[in-house]
Amino acid sequence: MSKRYVGKDMLKVDAESKVTGRAQYPSDLKFDNCLHVKIKRATYPHAILKDLDINRAKNIDGVVDIITAKDYPNLNKFGLIIKDQDVLIKMGEKMKFMGDALAIIIAETEEIALKARDKIGVEIKKLEVITDPLRAIEKDAPPIHEDLSGLCTDYLKPNLNQKNILVDHYLKKGDVKKGFTEADLIVENEYRTQHIDQLPLQNESGYALYDDKKDEIKIWAASQWLHDTQADVAQSINMSKEKIRIIQTAIGGAFGKKEDVSVHIHLALAALHTQRPVKLEYTREESMIAQSKRHPLIIKAKTGVSSNGYLTAWSVEVIGDTGAYASSGPAVVHKGMYHCTGPYNVENIEGTSYAIYTNNTYGGAMRGFGTTQMAFAYESQMDILAHKLNIDPAQFRYQNAYITGSVTPNGQKLGKSVNTKRTIESVIDLAKWEGEINK
Amino acid sequence: MRKKGRGMATIMFGFGYGEGFPDHSIAEIEITTDQKIKLRTAGADVGQGFLTTMIQIAAEVLKIDSSYIEIVGQDTHQAKNSGSTSATRQTFFSGNAVREAAEEVMGMIYHHGSIYFNSNHPELTVKDGEIYACDNKEEKISYWELAEIVKQKGDNLQAEASFFPKTYVPDEKTGQSEKNYVAYTFMTQVIDIEVDTDTGIIEVMNVYTALDVGKAINPQNVHGQIEGGTVQGLGMALMEEQVIKNGITINPDMTNYLVPSIQDIPEFESTLIENEDSDGPFGAKGIGEPTLIAACPAVANAVYDAIGVRITSLPITPEIILNSLEENNN
Amino acid sequence: MKITLTVNGEKREVEVKPQTRLLDLLREDLGLTGTKEGCGKGECGACTVIMNNKLVASCLVLAVQADQSEILTIEGLNCQDELHPIQNAFINKGAVQCGFCIPGMIMSSKQLLDENINPTEAEIKRGLSGNICRCTGYVKIIDAVKEAAHKMRSRGEDDV
Ligand code: FES
Ligand code: FES
Repeated sequence: MSKRYVGKDMLKVDAESKVTGRAQYPSDLKFDNCLHVKIKRATYPHAILKDLDINRAKNIDGVVDIITAKDYPNLNKFGLIIKDQDVLIKMGEKMKFMGDALAIIIAETEEIALKARDKIGVEIKKLEVITDPLRAIEKDAPPIHEDLSGLCTDYLKPNLNQKNILVDHYLKKGDVKKGFTEADLIVENEYRTQHIDQLPLQNESGYALYDDKKDEIKIWAASQWLHDTQADVAQSINMSKEKIRIIQTAIGGAFGKKEDVSVHIHLALAALHTQRPVKLEYTREESMIAQSKRHPLIIKAKTGVSSNGYLTAWSVEVIGDTGAYASSGPAVVHKGMYHCTGPYNVENIEGTSYAIYTNNTYGGAMRGFGTTQMAFAYESQMDILAHKLNIDPAQFRYQNAYITGSVTPNGQKLGKSVNTKRTIESVIDLAKWEGEINK
Repeated sequence: MRKKGRGMATIMFGFGYGEGFPDHSIAEIEITTDQKIKLRTAGADVGQGFLTTMIQIAAEVLKIDSSYIEIVGQDTHQAKNSGSTSATRQTFFSGNAVREAAEEVMGMIYHHGSIYFNSNHPELTVKDGEIYACDNKEEKISYWELAEIVKQKGDNLQAEASFFPKTYVPDEKTGQSEKNYVAYTFMTQVIDIEVDTDTGIIEVMNVYTALDVGKAINPQNVHGQIEGGTVQGLGMALMEEQVIKNGITINPDMTNYLVPSIQDIPEFESTLIENEDSDGPFGAKGIGEPTLIAACPAVANAVYDAIGVRITSLPITPEIILNSLEENNN
Repeated sequence: MKITLTVNGEKREVEVKPQTRLLDLLREDLGLTGTKEGCGKGECGACTVIMNNKLVASCLVLAVQADQSEILTIEGLNCQDELHPIQNAFINKGAVQCGFCIPGMIMSSKQLLDENINPTEAEIKRGLSGNICRCTGYVKIIDAVKEAAHKMRSRGEDDV
């Protein structure tokens, strides 16, 4: 039956407000009597905070206050999956990447807040900066999170440094040894991907206001998941979830970057502290340094194939640099691994994945969530194999592609909606691909 | 010299959080007495058109002009959890919740309508926001009038629904899980490039896409995702890298961290495969993330086709092309 | 110091500091928040406005430099209730996603079409090359500019 709305190009309901400039993004709101917030961040990627001198900054005319960890000793750590991120670094504790917050500066104007930020004195004791995940897993590498362990499984290889491995995951289907024995051709390669910034065009920004009658903090800032951000803010500052109200505004792009808490907790604290409206807006530089990245992955892929072009075995090892904090890392790295064969039938599979702490900007969510990096590996492998076997790459993909009833690396049997082959058929028509497919 | 190359990539993406995570979306629909249909969702529209899609689904089920539908509840205190706008999940998850809530309300329209017209359900016609019995269009009432009647009875034409499909936690040792993700989206792309062997610069000429979308609720917006997603993928393939040296980002700005500009984009031709065969609303599947995923390998495969070198690290910058050409020569 | 300028056809007198940027003057002093800031360094084009019939990145122009100037922002494009053909085309062609780049994109499109009502695709790309969009992949933006050009040509005027 034909439908009236579904399947039609209905114009976006918010487009008119966006083409006229009327749409309100977080930074477009206006509050009377508003204070401006800036964050003093780490001065070294891995160091112990020895001293924080805020006196000179505090004396600047127009500075309302400067909040440090001392003022709120009971703050809890936050984070999307694992709570390992400090709201403010405490004296004697470590800054773990350049985005770590040391102090929240609150002033009458943005200019004054910035001036005060630069007047804060920071004394540190430098530690070894771990920037390569392969260094992080060496036994003698210093632990980045001393207080966090026990997340690794019993299957972790004993020669690896548990302390810097956030999580390890495994995949085992069929008999990979047998599969490689059966193979007529084996191709093995290492693939590497890079740190990517999601780069939504609007930087993190927002307002907060404390309503003393309701004892409620209102926050206007973008979030890809309102209720999750609300819960994380609430637990971190020890308030009940119902006392944290987050109001969505127009969102200037996200792509995974606005899943993590950004301005929210600092704004909440500043609003509570001053009982006045407060505003915090990141610069592009701050956004790039302090908020999540696409995880760089090192993927070792080994693929076996029979001489007539059917996959017999696939194994992968995935090393993911999750940077200083977990964020989405525990899920990203193994989701990548779970997609290691792409949409192709392989009976024998083995995989290992590690998310590893370093002192880099933390890895989080970005469109594709580990599977983007993995696709670079598996689709390169497929192409290499096709060329070595002298089979048309489209044909090689086609004859290995999933159909209804195929089983994924996780052992999930695909019962319906498996249209892999149709995508190949359609695209070779569309692109006028040379060579035909043998169905 | 400019050399042409063509590469293919086929990808899949298991969407939703899956892996046994309690992933769900709640939505609510209410027909008011003042000629409005309130669609309550906390789901974030990040530009992809989530809210528009939800309105289309509600309008379809409720058989009423979409202009009556108003989004409310973009606020933790005004709506319940809709889950995240991520994991390519909102069309599937919130879409199903909206569809279910709308079907509930439709059930109430039939229930109260049949009492009003003293008829059974099959005798009622519900269309364009109006209800009448036995094809007797003369005696019809509007949704708003019905809402008023229902209000008098102390009830509301309002329903909430939660979509909460089950997945299973993968086994710790083997990763095996009977149902790891709610569903999978597939896509194949062919990308044509030209490599300038003197400068190492790669120009992307054409992108051909076949996307397994189940059902495109809004085809224009699906194409918007294909184009936007692919161009982000091309950025990753060719130019983007936040360089972090010893913990310090050395290019924290948009001059040194390059993303594709309008000068960098190829021609697009795309086909949507619509088998309407998934468990999503009207058979739709999620497509937000999949649209980005094929670009990197398709470009790398095209580079091999063009100049016979296999690049295994990203991004594939002109320097990398020139270096590998030189290595090949030696 | 005090400056005088015409913004969207209206004469305005504003007290500004020497370091105030035109962008801040528009957004903060005049409340015209349609003009966006994406980088503050002239890299993204989100802050694009038309100043004395030329495109400028308002994050790079000091307010004092705008003294006596004539400025057009996104808010000045539609007259009363009627949208400018460019705005309509952006909506109709699905060229808007998150929308954050869109005011700047539309101002660049306006300038382009004011100078050349029948641009080729290459000319459109050149005209919009200073505006970054992270969402759309630009395809529908180009379509929208083409449609707007077509509409404006068939109307035979562009001073809407
Ligand atoms: S904000 Fe002015 S160019 Fe980016
Ligand atoms: S629509 Fe989001 S940046 Fe252009």
